[in-house]
Amino acid sequence: MSEIRVPGLNRVLLAGRLTRDPELRYTPNGSAVCNFSLAVNRRHKDQSGRWQDDTTFINVVAWQAIAENVNKFLHKGSPVLVEGRLESRSWETETGQKRSVIEIRADSVRFLEKGETGPEQAPESD
Amino acid sequence: MPDLKLAELNRVFLIGRLTKDPEVRQTSNGTPVTNFTIAINRKYKSVSGELKEDTTFVGIVAWQKLAELCKQFLAKGRAVLVEGKMQNRSWETEDGQKRSTLEIRADRIEFLDREPRPAAPAGPPPAGDSPDGQSGGFEAAPDKSDDDLPF
Repeated sequence: MSEIRVPGLNRVLLAGRLTRDPELRYTPNGSAVCNFSLAVNRRHKDQSGRWQDDTTFINVVAWQAIAENVNKFLHKGSPVLVEGRLESRSWETETGQKRSVIEIRADSVRFLEKGETGPEQAPESD
Repeated sequence: MPDLKLAELNRVFLIGRLTKDPEVRQTSNGTPVTNFTIAINRKYKSVSGELKEDTTFVGIVAWQKLAELCKQFLAKGRAVLVEGKMQNRSWETEDGQKRSTLEIRADRIEFLDREPRPAAPAGPPPAGDSPDGQSGGFEAAPDKSDDDLPF
């Protein structure tokens, strides 16, 4: 049998709503990049059997055509399905503390709002 | 047709290697929990065609039996497949600042290293052990306090 190497599997699937309007900017070399934050809800029963909603807030970053479309067609509250991968970013603060954040880099953002104008699915790009 | 509700979808699949040995602690009510970080490597071609590699570090949290199995069978450098969901965790630093981070709450962790297990053979193999005894994968036990069923 041939040996197996560790594949760098990194896949995320999320459905949620934008918590604020997306922000589009351009890198110095002209690439569009759009950051937005998703609220992903989950209903579950607590120990006493009552339904509880809990919400996870997740930052998403989209590039190029996806970024342009997100900015053009989505707004606070828009429902989306996001596919992508986790990325970690770390930096040092002015006081020398190390910080890091995790965000989703979107490969695909599907717009779920009925009657939403614009592409049903943002073109995929990498 | 009735309106649709937004699907509850929050799924993550990762394969990476542990950056250090997992440690297990107990919550105040005695529930075991483990936190560890995995490094996920990615190779890609840059715009100029160069082959590049980057690493993403992701924090994993596992509870109950799954936490104990991680402690028993995992160590720094081991490869795992983690399936779970993203969740926020927030805490206060010693100087009172609020911080929050995203981590993966593991529902299933599959141990990918084939080498023989460290001494565990006393007693029956843990539930969920694969029949060949070489690689293992474990699922979180159903947790009454965390029931996903919406009905």
